[in-house]
Amino acid sequence: MALFGELFLSEIIRKPVFDPKGEIIGKVKDVIVVKGDPLPEIAAIIVQRKGHSFLIKWESINIFNKRIISSFLYGDSLDPYSYEEDNLLAVRDILDKQIVDANGAKVVRVNDIKLEGYNEKAVLIAVDVGMRGILRRLGAEHSSDEVLRFFRTELANNLISWNYMQPLSPELKSIALTVPRQILSELHPADIAELISQVSREEGANLFKDLDIETAADALSELMPERQAEIINSIDAEQAADIIEEMQPDEAADVLSDLPTEKAKEILEHIDREEAEDIQELLGHEEDTAGGLMTNIFVAYPPGITVAEAIERFRKDAEEIESVYYIYITDENERLVGVASLRDVLMADPQALLSDIMKKKIKSVSPETDDMVAAEIISKYNLVALPVIDADNTLLGIVSVDDVIDIILPPSAKRSRRKV
Amino acid sequence: MSRWKSFLLFLTVMGPGIITANIDNDASGITTYSVAGARFGYQLLWTLIPTTVGLVVVQEMVGRMGVITGKGLADLIRENYGVKAAFYMMMGLFIANFGNTVADFAGWAASMEIFGLSKYVMVPFGALAIWVLVAKGSYRFVENVLLIACLIFIGYIISGVMAKPDWGVVAANTLLPHLQWNAEYIYLSIGIIGTTITPWMQFYLQSSIAEKGIKKEHYKASRLDVIIGCSITDIISFFIIVTCAVTLFPNGIRVEDASEAALALKPFAGNHASLLFAIALANASILGAIIVPLATAYYICEAMGWEAGVNKSFREAPQFMGIYTMMILAGAVVVLIPNAPLVFLMVLSAVVNGLLLPFVLVFIIMLINNPKIMGEHVNSRGYNIVSWATVVAVAILTALFVVATIFPIS
Repeated sequence: MALFGELFLSEIIRKPVFDPKGEIIGKVKDVIVVKGDPLPEIAAIIVQRKGHSFLIKWESINIFNKRIISSFLYGDSLDPYSYEEDNLLAVRDILDKQIVDANGAKVVRVNDIKLEGYNEKAVLIAVDVGMRGILRRLGAEHSSDEVLRFFRTELANNLISWNYMQPLSPELKSIALTVPRQILSELHPADIAELISQVSREEGANLFKDLDIETAADALSELMPERQAEIINSIDAEQAADIIEEMQPDEAADVLSDLPTEKAKEILEHIDREEAEDIQELLGHEEDTAGGLMTNIFVAYPPGITVAEAIERFRKDAEEIESVYYIYITDENERLVGVASLRDVLMADPQALLSDIMKKKIKSVSPETDDMVAAEIISKYNLVALPVIDADNTLLGIVSVDDVIDIILPPSAKRSRRKV
Repeated sequence: MSRWKSFLLFLTVMGPGIITANIDNDASGITTYSVAGARFGYQLLWTLIPTTVGLVVVQEMVGRMGVITGKGLADLIRENYGVKAAFYMMMGLFIANFGNTVADFAGWAASMEIFGLSKYVMVPFGALAIWVLVAKGSYRFVENVLLIACLIFIGYIISGVMAKPDWGVVAANTLLPHLQWNAEYIYLSIGIIGTTITPWMQFYLQSSIAEKGIKKEHYKASRLDVIIGCSITDIISFFIIVTCAVTLFPNGIRVEDASEAALALKPFAGNHASLLFAIALANASILGAIIVPLATAYYICEAMGWEAGVNKSFREAPQFMGIYTMMILAGAVVVLIPNAPLVFLMVLSAVVNGLLLPFVLVFIIMLINNPKIMGEHVNSRGYNIVSWATVVAVAILTALFVVATIFPIS
């Protein structure tokens, strides 16, 4: 069956279709699209031969990719096709149509359609709305790439995922995005990030401006680094500072490290002193190390206090910390001496000392440790967080399982950089 | 519906047809009419009637598409004939319209010099003024400015009447066609059609009707708007020819362009007629310099699917504002450069316009006969015969015009 990677609709239109003997049975004219789960898929290909149209069902397609399209059928056994209004045809009904937002305002035009192999089917995963799509249709994509390479720039891809398209029907005049601006802030920040990563640069920055600070901070941390830098660059330092202040220090450090030094300095000046120090501390570490991955916000108490006192303190401290798995026990010089999970603390006798219940054998890494090594340790010992210590055993920060998952399995808004 | 009600309805729907048709008499149109009147007197007047018929036939179809589909012509071409057809057509229109813009700035410069104002001051001033009007003004404000500016065209009618033509002779020459086998005569008669039926105005008319959101039920009122507009265009042309025919032709004065005509009128038709002529030329030029770049920016963005509109800022519609700004800036600069190849640009623009027009007209006829787009509002059989005949005639004449422009008759 026809398995293939990804391709654009314009790359297969007017391509020859071969029979099993390698004879041309016609040229691709259009494709019939049906509703699929989760995305629309190709049900059949319409080929043209000597002015007549024929239908080849998807099941009869043998090979389907950029270079070659072939069928199990022979030319004389093809079913003739007559254009029917209730079929949804990609070229006739979708290509070149205007995409409007939910308020009916023009946004962009469908310049091309991106297909991808999924479960033996060819599904429509995105529409190309950028200049690249236009150039591809004009047959000038490669030559303009060459020209741009000469100027050391690159033409960005500009795709909108089908997830954000309203259901399609034949005879449609324009295609509507399902995400109107007003309900944007009701989406999960990760979904907003995905949407922002798919629309044009300006559109993305505009969407971002409408968000409240907290949502903006969450959405920003889900975006890929270049996009983060772009957006932060497009707003003024004070506004950027408000958003970054809202982020976890490790994520804030990630964003700042991708900015031009001047801009980063300017933003840091606007940030609350204590938080700025936390962020600056993290900025000192290399990106692909445990130090670059860690956050320096964690709970650490002296060994001499009782469990009851620890719980009392924890109630206050935990408010400002995103997620807590362990209480670390440090001596007067901030050296790590033990660890207790929240469960251990809650189950213990309230009058016991922390030094009595803590575990002293601790898995830890140094800030220079490769991030993948840290990930392997977390995975091997089933940890939720891994402490990072320096040569003197001083506790610098923790790498949490969340941070590790993001590098192994990036959220799609970050991943799209590699995929597209 | 009572008469009063239908009149009120007409007032709300009118605008696009009348504005489009008026702007059609831009600097190059006025030049053609002035030259025709001065060179051949009344003898080319009759060409205005077939020109008007052709204009009405074409504009009616375009207006109908705007009302029924609610989309611009560039939109429809892109959606039905794909990105290639739309892209190359837009490239051609851009070149042709850049030439038109330059012609309009040249007309503005020439008319300002009649009033003794330096073009090095007035061209930058005019360019800045029209840029600010669109970049900072609202749509309603722009439309009102345009409608008021259209009134100034009446200046040509007044100067025509002031010239006191013999109306009997004028009527006879208008109604009775007569051909002359003279190369210059044929060239000018084709030129009148070529400057009246242009590609860009079809795009502009349909977009402005679509943007106005005129409903299907009100199509008849909109058609009246289009027909009145076309008639006004040619009434203005008529009076320009008559004015020059009465005053310049009998005295054997040949003119090369519209500003020369305005100057030459002084000794024969008096100071006032000359001034009116110059003011109307200035007005036509500056109107053209607003609308042509605006229309170009509109339909390029339509075809490519970019955000467009007078009310949008540079941030919201960068391509739209960029194209508009670029055309005005470059158009003004070219006029001010000493020894710039103005003539070459105008010829290039006329040639590209002439080459595009047949394609545009054929697209219009194919689109309007597509029941998927137009539903029951496709052309009737009889109307198709008329419109195909018009299209073929106009296409042949513009082809001849192109040939004659490239190889001028000495």
